[in-house]
Amino acid sequence: MIRLHHVAFSRSFRILWLLEEMGLEAEIRHYGLTDGSLRAEEYRSISPAGRVPALEIDGITIHESGAIVEYLCETRPEHGLGRLPGDPERVPFLEWLGFAETQASILASLNMQHLFMGDPSPASPAVLRLEAARLASTLKPMEAVMKKRDWLLPSGFSAADTMMGFNLFSAPYFVDFARFGALRAHIARIEARPAYVRAREKDGVQQFYSKPFYPVPEEA
Amino acid sequence: MEIRLHHVDESRSVRVLWLLEELEVDFELVSYDFFDKSLRTAEYLMLNPAGRVPALEIDGAVMCESGAMIEYLCELFPEAGLGRPPGDPERMEWLDWLHYAETIGQHCANLTQAHVVLYEPWMRSSTQMSLEARRLSKVLERIELLLVDGREYLMETGFSGVDCAVGYGVDLARRFVRLDELPGVAEYLERLCARPAFQAAQPEADARRIYAQDFYEVPDA
Ligand SMILES: N[C@@H](CCC(=O)N[C@@H](CS)C(=O)NCC(=O)O)C(=O)O
Ligand SMILES: N[C@@H](CCC(=O)N[C@@H](CS)C(=O)NCC(=O)O)C(=O)O
Repeated sequence: MIRLHHVAFSRSFRILWLLEEMGLEAEIRHYGLTDGSLRAEEYRSISPAGRVPALEIDGITIHESGAIVEYLCETRPEHGLGRLPGDPERVPFLEWLGFAETQASILASLNMQHLFMGDPSPASPAVLRLEAARLASTLKPMEAVMKKRDWLLPSGFSAADTMMGFNLFSAPYFVDFARFGALRAHIARIEARPAYVRAREKDGVQQFYSKPFYPVPEEA
Repeated sequence: MEIRLHHVDESRSVRVLWLLEELEVDFELVSYDFFDKSLRTAEYLMLNPAGRVPALEIDGAVMCESGAMIEYLCELFPEAGLGRPPGDPERMEWLDWLHYAETIGQHCANLTQAHVVLYEPWMRSSTQMSLEARRLSKVLERIELLLVDGREYLMETGFSGVDCAVGYGVDLARRFVRLDELPGVAEYLERLCARPAFQAAQPEADARRIYAQDFYEVPDA
Protein backbone atom coordinates (compact mmCIF):
# COMPACT_ATOMS: atom_id res chain seq x y z
CA MET A 1 0.00 0.00 0.00
CA ILE A 2 1.23 3.48 -0.84
CA ARG A 3 -0.17 6.49 1.01
CA LEU A 4 0.60 10.12 0.17
CA HIS A 5 -0.02 12.92 2.65
CA HIS A 6 -0.89 15.87 0.53
CA VAL A 7 -1.83 19.55 0.39
CA ALA A 8 -3.35 20.73 -2.88
CA PHE A 9 -0.95 22.83 -4.97
CA SER A 10 1.99 22.32 -2.61
CA ARG A 11 5.32 20.51 -2.94
CA SER A 12 3.53 17.19 -2.48
CA PHE A 13 2.10 17.66 -5.97
CA ARG A 14 5.57 16.70 -7.23
CA ILE A 15 5.02 13.25 -5.80
CA LEU A 16 1.36 12.96 -6.76
CA TRP A 17 2.37 13.60 -10.36
CA LEU A 18 5.36 11.23 -10.28
CA LEU A 19 3.21 8.43 -8.88
CA GLU A 20 0.83 8.93 -11.81
CA GLU A 21 3.72 8.88 -14.28
CA MET A 22 4.75 5.54 -12.78
CA GLY A 23 1.20 4.24 -12.76
CA LEU A 24 1.40 3.53 -9.02
CA GLU A 25 -1.88 3.37 -7.15
CA ALA A 26 -1.83 5.44 -3.95
CA GLU A 27 -4.23 6.45 -1.24
CA ILE A 28 -4.24 10.22 -0.83
CA ARG A 29 -4.83 11.94 2.50
CA HIS A 30 -5.69 15.60 2.13
CA TYR A 31 -4.60 18.35 4.55
CA GLY A 32 -4.83 22.15 4.66
CA LEU A 33 -2.07 24.65 5.41
CA THR A 34 -4.21 26.83 7.66
CA ASP A 35 -6.79 24.48 9.22
CA GLY A 36 -4.41 22.97 11.80
CA SER A 37 -4.55 19.51 10.24
CA LEU A 38 -0.76 19.37 9.80
CA ARG A 39 -0.37 20.14 13.52
CA ALA A 40 -2.73 17.38 14.71
CA GLU A 41 -1.22 14.75 17.03
CA GLU A 42 -1.93 12.02 14.51
CA TYR A 43 0.05 13.74 11.79
CA ARG A 44 2.96 14.45 14.13
CA SER A 45 3.68 10.76 14.30
CA ILE A 46 3.93 10.70 10.51
CA SER A 47 5.85 13.94 9.98
CA PRO A 48 7.56 15.39 13.08
CA ALA A 49 7.99 18.75 11.34
CA GLY A 50 4.34 18.78 10.27
CA ARG A 51 5.08 19.23 6.58
CA VAL A 52 3.99 17.73 3.31
CA PRO A 53 4.76 15.62 1.44
CA ALA A 54 5.07 12.47 3.47
CA LEU A 55 4.95 9.16 1.64
CA GLU A 56 4.27 5.81 3.27
CA ILE A 57 5.67 3.09 1.04
CA ASP A 58 7.42 -0.28 1.35
CA GLY A 59 6.88 -0.16 5.12
CA ILE A 60 8.71 3.16 5.59
CA THR A 61 7.85 6.86 5.64
CA ILE A 62 9.82 9.42 3.62
CA HIS A 63 9.35 13.17 4.05
CA GLU A 64 11.42 15.24 1.71
CA SER A 65 10.08 15.56 -1.83
CA GLY A 66 13.59 15.28 -3.31
CA ALA A 67 14.31 12.14 -1.30
CA ILE A 68 10.97 10.60 -2.31
CA VAL A 69 11.70 11.30 -5.96
CA GLU A 70 15.13 9.66 -5.70
CA TYR A 71 13.79 6.69 -3.76
CA LEU A 72 10.94 6.03 -6.21
CA CYS A 73 13.29 6.25 -9.18
CA GLU A 74 15.82 3.89 -7.62
CA THR A 75 13.35 1.29 -6.40
CA ARG A 76 11.21 1.44 -9.56
CA PRO A 77 13.90 1.74 -12.26
CA GLU A 78 11.68 0.07 -14.87
CA HIS A 79 9.94 3.42 -15.47
CA GLY A 80 13.20 5.04 -16.51
CA LEU A 81 12.39 8.31 -14.79
CA GLY A 82 15.57 8.64 -12.73
CA ARG A 83 19.19 8.90 -13.78
CA LEU A 84 20.88 6.48 -11.43
CA PRO A 85 24.54 6.35 -10.30
CA GLY A 86 26.72 5.76 -13.34
CA ASP A 87 24.25 7.32 -15.78
CA PRO A 88 25.85 10.00 -17.99
CA GLU A 89 23.10 12.39 -16.85
CA ARG A 90 23.57 11.65 -13.17
CA VAL A 91 25.06 15.07 -12.40
CA PRO A 92 22.44 17.20 -14.18
CA PHE A 93 19.67 15.04 -12.72
CA LEU A 94 20.90 15.65 -9.16
CA GLU A 95 21.52 19.33 -9.93
CA TRP A 96 17.92 19.86 -11.08
CA LEU A 97 16.59 18.15 -7.97
CA GLY A 98 18.62 20.55 -5.84
CA PHE A 99 17.80 23.55 -7.97
CA ALA A 100 14.08 22.81 -7.60
CA GLU A 101 14.47 23.57 -3.90
CA THR A 102 16.66 26.62 -4.48
CA GLN A 103 13.77 27.99 -6.47
CA ALA A 104 11.04 26.63 -4.18
CA SER A 105 12.62 28.31 -1.17
CA ILE A 106 12.06 31.67 -2.83
CA LEU A 107 8.48 30.69 -3.61
CA ALA A 108 7.95 29.57 -0.03
CA SER A 109 9.31 32.87 1.22
CA LEU A 110 7.02 34.83 -1.13
CA ASN A 111 4.04 32.70 -0.10
CA MET A 112 4.84 33.29 3.54
CA GLN A 113 5.26 37.03 3.22
CA HIS A 114 2.35 37.70 0.86
CA LEU A 115 -0.20 35.24 2.22
CA PHE A 116 0.48 34.05 5.74
CA MET A 117 1.63 37.04 7.78
CA GLY A 118 -1.64 38.98 7.93
CA ASP A 119 -3.45 41.40 5.66
CA PRO A 120 -1.91 43.82 4.93
CA SER A 121 1.36 41.94 5.23
CA PRO A 122 3.94 43.54 7.53
CA ALA A 123 6.65 42.43 5.09
CA SER A 124 8.57 45.28 3.53
CA PRO A 125 7.87 46.03 -0.13
CA ALA A 126 11.63 46.25 -0.66
CA VAL A 127 12.05 42.65 0.43
CA LEU A 128 9.08 41.43 -1.60
CA ARG A 129 10.56 43.13 -4.64
CA LEU A 130 13.95 41.55 -3.97
CA GLU A 131 12.44 38.09 -3.62
CA ALA A 132 10.42 38.44 -6.83
CA ALA A 133 13.59 39.50 -8.66
CA ARG A 134 15.44 36.49 -7.20
CA LEU A 135 12.66 34.23 -8.41
CA ALA A 136 12.80 35.71 -11.90
CA SER A 137 16.55 35.16 -11.99
CA THR A 138 16.04 31.45 -11.32
CA LEU A 139 13.55 31.27 -14.19
CA LYS A 140 16.00 32.69 -16.69
CA PRO A 141 18.29 29.65 -16.91
CA MET A 142 15.22 27.41 -17.25
CA GLU A 143 13.93 29.57 -20.06
CA ALA A 144 17.29 29.15 -21.81
CA VAL A 145 17.10 25.37 -21.49
CA MET A 146 13.51 25.21 -22.73
CA LYS A 147 14.45 27.13 -25.85
CA LYS A 148 16.69 24.21 -26.73
CA ARG A 149 14.61 21.18 -25.79
CA ASP A 150 11.30 19.90 -24.47
CA TRP A 151 12.35 18.62 -21.05
CA LEU A 152 15.04 19.50 -18.53
CA LEU A 153 17.37 16.65 -19.48
CA PRO A 154 18.57 16.11 -23.06
CA SER A 155 17.51 12.45 -23.04
CA GLY A 156 13.90 13.37 -22.37
CA PHE A 157 11.23 13.48 -19.68
CA SER A 158 12.39 12.53 -16.19
CA ALA A 159 11.51 12.91 -12.53
CA ALA A 160 13.49 16.16 -12.61
CA ASP A 161 10.56 17.59 -14.56
CA THR A 162 8.06 16.46 -11.93
CA MET A 163 10.26 18.02 -9.23
CA MET A 164 9.56 21.36 -10.91
CA GLY A 165 5.85 20.58 -10.84
CA PHE A 166 5.07 22.77 -7.85
CA ASN A 167 7.42 25.59 -8.83
CA LEU A 168 6.28 26.32 -12.37
CA PHE A 169 2.66 26.59 -11.31
CA SER A 170 3.32 28.85 -8.32
CA ALA A 171 5.88 31.18 -9.88
CA PRO A 172 3.33 32.94 -12.18
CA TYR A 173 1.60 34.33 -9.06
CA PHE A 174 4.68 36.47 -8.41
CA VAL A 175 6.49 36.91 -11.72
CA ASP A 176 4.91 37.94 -15.00
CA PHE A 177 5.54 35.09 -17.46
CA ALA A 178 5.00 37.27 -20.55
CA ARG A 179 8.76 37.35 -21.13
CA PHE A 180 9.21 33.60 -20.57
CA GLY A 181 7.75 32.23 -23.80
CA ALA A 182 9.69 28.97 -23.74
CA LEU A 183 8.57 28.31 -20.18
CA ARG A 184 4.95 28.94 -21.13
CA ALA A 185 5.32 26.42 -23.95
CA HIS A 186 6.91 24.04 -21.47
CA ILE A 187 3.98 24.40 -19.09
CA ALA A 188 1.61 23.65 -21.97
CA ARG A 189 3.61 20.48 -22.74
CA ILE A 190 3.30 19.42 -19.12
CA GLU A 191 -0.43 20.08 -19.13
CA ALA A 192 -0.79 17.82 -22.16
CA ARG A 193 0.59 14.78 -20.30
CA PRO A 194 -2.18 12.34 -19.32
CA ALA A 195 -0.44 11.54 -16.01
CA TYR A 196 -0.29 15.24 -15.16
CA VAL A 197 -3.99 15.62 -15.94
CA ARG A 198 -4.86 12.64 -13.70
CA ALA A 199 -2.69 14.07 -10.92
CA ARG A 200 -4.46 17.44 -11.10
CA GLU A 201 -7.81 15.68 -10.87
CA LYS A 202 -6.69 14.14 -7.57
CA ASP A 203 -4.89 17.27 -6.34
CA GLY A 204 -7.87 18.93 -4.67
CA VAL A 205 -8.78 22.60 -4.53
CA GLN A 206 -5.98 25.12 -4.16
CA GLN A 207 -6.71 27.18 -1.06
CA PHE A 208 -4.11 29.86 -0.54
CA TYR A 209 -3.98 32.05 -3.65
CA SER A 210 -7.13 34.17 -3.82
CA LYS A 211 -6.09 36.25 -6.83
CA PRO A 212 -4.21 35.47 -10.01
CA PHE A 213 -1.22 37.72 -9.36
CA TYR A 214 0.51 39.23 -6.31
CA PRO A 215 2.24 42.44 -7.31
CA VAL A 216 4.75 44.10 -5.03
CA PRO A 217 2.73 46.47 -2.82
CA GLU A 218 3.29 50.23 -3.08
CA GLU A 219 5.97 51.66 -0.82
CA ALA A 220 4.41 53.04 2.36
CA MET B 1 40.56 13.61 -10.87
CA GLU B 2 40.55 17.39 -10.77
CA ILE B 3 38.34 18.97 -8.14
CA ARG B 4 38.03 22.70 -7.53
CA LEU B 5 35.66 24.14 -4.93
CA HIS B 6 34.53 27.76 -5.01
CA HIS B 7 33.94 28.80 -1.45
CA VAL B 8 32.84 31.54 0.93
CA ASP B 9 33.58 31.14 4.64
CA GLU B 10 30.48 30.23 6.68
CA SER B 11 28.31 29.75 3.56
CA ARG B 12 26.74 26.52 2.30
CA SER B 13 30.02 25.67 0.58
CA VAL B 14 31.26 24.70 4.05
CA ARG B 15 29.22 21.51 3.67
CA VAL B 16 31.26 20.49 0.65
CA LEU B 17 34.60 21.71 1.96
CA TRP B 18 34.04 19.72 5.14
CA LEU B 19 33.05 16.61 3.15
CA LEU B 20 36.14 16.91 0.93
CA GLU B 21 38.26 17.07 4.10
CA GLU B 22 36.49 14.00 5.47
CA LEU B 23 37.08 12.16 2.18
CA GLU B 24 40.78 13.08 2.32
CA VAL B 25 40.96 13.72 -1.41
CA ASP B 26 43.03 16.32 -3.24
CA PHE B 27 41.26 19.48 -4.31
CA GLU B 28 41.86 23.12 -5.01
CA LEU B 29 40.03 25.77 -2.98
CA VAL B 30 39.10 29.16 -4.42
CA SER B 31 37.79 31.59 -1.80
CA TYR B 32 35.55 34.62 -2.28
CA ASP B 33 34.28 37.43 -0.12
CA PHE B 34 30.51 37.35 0.39
CA PHE B 35 30.19 41.14 0.54
CA ASP B 36 32.57 42.54 -2.06
CA LYS B 37 30.77 41.50 -5.30
CA SER B 38 33.43 38.94 -6.19
CA LEU B 39 30.60 36.45 -6.81
CA ARG B 40 29.26 38.86 -9.43
CA THR B 41 32.25 38.97 -11.79
CA ALA B 42 31.67 37.79 -15.35
CA GLU B 43 34.16 35.01 -14.75
CA TYR B 44 32.30 33.67 -11.74
CA LEU B 45 28.89 34.03 -13.36
CA MET B 46 30.11 31.79 -16.16
CA LEU B 47 30.57 29.07 -13.57
CA ASN B 48 27.45 29.73 -11.55
CA PRO B 49 24.97 32.03 -13.32
CA ALA B 50 23.11 32.61 -10.05
CA GLY B 51 26.27 34.03 -8.48
CA ARG B 52 25.98 31.71 -5.52
CA VAL B 53 28.31 29.43 -3.66
CA PRO B 54 29.20 26.64 -3.68
CA ALA B 55 30.33 25.86 -7.20
CA LEU B 56 32.25 22.67 -7.77
CA GLU B 57 34.34 21.94 -10.84
CA ILE B 58 34.81 18.26 -11.16
CA ASP B 59 36.34 16.56 -14.17
CA GLY B 60 35.13 19.26 -16.51
CA ALA B 61 31.59 19.47 -15.15
CA VAL B 62 30.34 22.32 -12.97
CA MET B 63 27.91 21.74 -10.12
CA CYS B 64 26.04 24.45 -8.22
CA GLU B 65 23.92 22.60 -5.63
CA SER B 66 25.53 21.54 -2.37
CA GLY B 67 23.20 18.57 -1.84
CA ALA B 68 23.89 17.23 -5.32
CA MET B 69 27.64 17.65 -4.74
CA ILE B 70 27.50 15.66 -1.53
CA GLU B 71 25.57 12.83 -3.10
CA TYR B 72 27.83 12.74 -6.15
CA LEU B 73 31.10 12.93 -4.21
CA CYS B 74 29.96 10.09 -1.97
CA GLU B 75 29.25 8.02 -5.09
CA LEU B 76 32.63 8.85 -6.63
CA PHE B 77 34.53 7.82 -3.51
CA PRO B 78 32.59 4.81 -2.20
CA GLU B 79 35.59 3.45 -0.30
CA ALA B 80 35.27 6.29 2.23
CA GLY B 81 31.89 4.89 3.25
CA LEU B 82 30.25 8.31 3.61
CA GLY B 83 27.32 7.58 1.30
CA ARG B 84 24.61 4.97 1.64
CA PRO B 85 24.23 3.77 -1.96
CA PRO B 86 21.03 2.43 -3.54
CA GLY B 87 20.18 -0.88 -1.90
CA ASP B 88 21.82 0.02 1.42
CA PRO B 89 19.44 -0.50 4.35
CA GLU B 90 19.98 3.15 5.36
CA ARG B 91 19.55 4.50 1.84
CA MET B 92 16.11 6.01 2.34
CA GLU B 93 17.05 7.72 5.62
CA TRP B 94 20.27 9.01 4.13
CA LEU B 95 18.37 10.60 1.24
CA ASP B 96 15.70 12.02 3.52
CA TRP B 97 18.29 13.72 5.74
CA LEU B 98 20.31 14.95 2.78
CA HIS B 99 17.29 16.81 1.48
CA TYR B 100 16.14 17.82 4.94
CA ALA B 101 19.41 19.72 5.26
CA GLU B 102 17.91 22.26 2.86
CA THR B 103 14.66 22.47 4.83
CA ILE B 104 16.88 23.58 7.71
CA GLY B 105 19.10 25.62 5.38
CA GLN B 106 16.22 27.60 3.95
CA HIS B 107 15.15 28.91 7.34
CA CYS B 108 18.76 29.77 8.14
CA ALA B 109 19.02 31.58 4.81
CA ASN B 110 15.82 33.56 5.44
CA LEU B 111 17.10 34.57 8.86
CA THR B 112 20.51 35.45 7.45
CA GLN B 113 18.87 37.64 4.87
CA ALA B 114 16.81 39.46 7.48
CA HIS B 115 19.50 39.86 10.15
CA VAL B 116 22.69 40.21 8.13
CA VAL B 117 22.01 41.09 4.51
CA LEU B 118 19.18 43.63 4.97
CA TYR B 119 21.07 46.07 7.10
CA GLU B 120 18.37 48.76 6.86
CA PRO B 121 16.03 48.29 9.83
CA TRP B 122 12.99 49.44 7.84
CA MET B 123 13.45 46.56 5.43
CA ARG B 124 13.09 43.98 8.15
CA SER B 125 9.90 42.53 9.52
CA SER B 126 10.15 41.33 13.11
CA THR B 127 7.00 39.27 12.49
CA GLN B 128 8.77 37.35 9.76
CA MET B 129 11.97 37.02 11.79
CA SER B 130 10.29 35.54 14.84
CA LEU B 131 8.19 33.26 12.67
CA GLU B 132 11.29 31.99 10.88
CA ALA B 133 13.11 31.43 14.17
CA ARG B 134 10.17 29.39 15.47
CA ARG B 135 10.03 27.37 12.28
CA LEU B 136 13.77 26.75 12.48
CA SER B 137 13.50 25.53 16.03
CA LYS B 138 10.68 23.23 14.99
CA VAL B 139 12.66 21.62 12.18
CA LEU B 140 15.56 21.03 14.59
CA GLU B 141 13.21 19.07 16.86
CA ARG B 142 13.24 16.29 14.32
CA ILE B 143 16.97 15.82 14.97
CA GLU B 144 16.35 15.81 18.71
CA LEU B 145 13.75 13.07 18.27
CA LEU B 146 16.10 10.98 16.13
CA LEU B 147 18.96 11.17 18.61
CA VAL B 148 16.97 9.95 21.64
CA ASP B 149 17.97 6.36 20.81
CA GLY B 150 21.55 7.30 21.69
CA ARG B 151 23.05 7.29 18.21
CA GLU B 152 26.01 9.64 17.69
CA TYR B 153 25.28 10.69 14.14
CA LEU B 154 22.24 10.82 11.87
CA MET B 155 22.86 7.33 10.51
CA GLU B 156 22.82 4.62 13.14
CA THR B 157 25.87 3.01 11.54
CA GLY B 158 27.96 6.13 12.01
CA PHE B 159 29.18 9.38 10.51
CA SER B 160 28.27 10.05 6.86
CA GLY B 161 27.97 12.78 4.25
CA VAL B 162 24.56 13.83 5.51
CA ASP B 163 26.13 14.94 8.78
CA CYS B 164 28.10 17.52 6.76
CA ALA B 165 24.89 18.71 5.10
CA VAL B 166 22.74 18.86 8.22
CA GLY B 167 25.56 19.70 10.64
CA TYR B 168 26.39 22.88 8.79
CA GLY B 169 22.76 23.94 9.26
CA VAL B 170 22.81 23.14 12.97
CA ASP B 171 25.99 25.12 13.42
CA LEU B 172 24.27 28.10 11.78
CA ALA B 173 20.98 27.61 13.57
CA ARG B 174 22.58 28.14 16.99
CA ARG B 175 22.99 31.80 16.02
CA PHE B 176 19.21 32.19 15.67
CA VAL B 177 17.67 29.75 18.16
CA ARG B 178 18.84 28.75 21.63
CA LEU B 179 19.74 25.11 21.83
CA ASP B 180 18.97 24.85 25.59
CA GLU B 181 15.73 23.04 24.89
CA LEU B 182 17.38 20.76 22.36
CA PRO B 183 20.14 19.13 24.43
CA GLY B 184 20.56 16.22 22.03
CA VAL B 185 21.12 18.62 19.16
CA ALA B 186 23.63 20.63 21.22
CA GLU B 187 25.63 17.49 22.01
CA TYR B 188 25.47 16.37 18.39
CA LEU B 189 26.91 19.74 17.38
CA GLU B 190 29.72 19.38 19.91
CA ARG B 191 30.60 15.97 18.46
CA LEU B 192 30.69 17.45 14.97
CA CYS B 193 32.83 20.41 16.03
CA ALA B 194 35.37 18.02 17.50
CA ARG B 195 36.04 16.43 14.11
CA PRO B 196 39.32 17.56 12.53
CA ALA B 197 37.68 17.80 9.09
CA PHE B 198 35.01 20.14 10.48
CA GLN B 199 37.70 22.33 12.00
CA ALA B 200 39.64 22.38 8.75
CA ALA B 201 36.54 23.81 7.04
CA GLN B 202 36.23 26.78 9.44
CA PRO B 203 37.45 30.31 8.65
CA GLU B 204 40.95 31.46 9.56
CA ALA B 205 41.15 33.62 12.67
CA ASP B 206 41.45 36.89 10.73
CA ALA B 207 38.91 36.04 8.01
CA ARG B 208 36.01 38.31 7.13
CA ARG B 209 32.91 36.54 8.36
CA ILE B 210 29.26 36.56 7.30
CA TYR B 211 28.21 36.23 10.93
CA ALA B 212 29.75 38.85 13.19
CA GLN B 213 27.52 37.96 16.14
CA ASP B 214 27.25 34.70 18.07
CA PHE B 215 23.53 35.22 18.48
CA TYR B 216 20.94 37.29 16.65
CA GLU B 217 17.93 38.35 18.70
CA VAL B 218 14.69 39.18 16.94
CA PRO B 219 14.37 42.97 17.10
CA ASP B 220 11.33 44.58 18.70
CA ALA B 221 8.54 45.40 16.28
N1 LIG C 1 12.03 20.55 1.55
C1 LIG C 1 10.74 20.03 1.81
C2 LIG C 1 9.79 21.15 2.13
C3 LIG C 1 8.43 20.72 2.55
C4 LIG C 1 7.53 21.91 2.90
O1 LIG C 1 7.98 22.89 3.48
N2 LIG C 1 6.24 21.80 2.54
C5 LIG C 1 5.28 22.85 2.79
C6 LIG C 1 4.22 22.87 1.72
S1 LIG C 1 4.85 23.31 0.15
C7 LIG C 1 4.58 22.62 4.12
O2 LIG C 1 4.29 21.49 4.45
N3 LIG C 1 4.29 23.68 4.86
C8 LIG C 1 3.50 23.58 6.04
C9 LIG C 1 4.14 24.23 7.22
O3 LIG C 1 5.34 24.51 7.16
O4 LIG C 1 3.45 24.45 8.18
C10 LIG C 1 10.30 19.22 0.62
O5 LIG C 1 10.79 19.49 -0.48
O6 LIG C 1 9.50 18.30 0.77
N1 LIG D 1 20.58 25.36 -2.85
C1 LIG D 1 21.89 25.95 -3.00
C2 LIG D 1 21.89 27.33 -2.40
C3 LIG D 1 23.18 28.07 -2.52
C4 LIG D 1 23.10 29.49 -1.92
O1 LIG D 1 22.04 30.10 -1.87
N2 LIG D 1 24.24 30.00 -1.42
C5 LIG D 1 24.28 31.29 -0.77
C6 LIG D 1 25.29 31.29 0.34
S1 LIG D 1 24.89 30.18 1.63
C7 LIG D 1 24.74 32.36 -1.74
O2 LIG D 1 25.67 32.15 -2.48
N3 LIG D 1 24.11 33.54 -1.75
C8 LIG D 1 24.54 34.63 -2.52
C9 LIG D 1 23.41 35.24 -3.30
O3 LIG D 1 22.31 34.65 -3.31
O4 LIG D 1 23.65 36.26 -3.91
C10 LIG D 1 22.88 25.02 -2.34
O5 LIG D 1 22.48 24.27 -1.44
O6 LIG D 1 24.03 24.98 -2.74
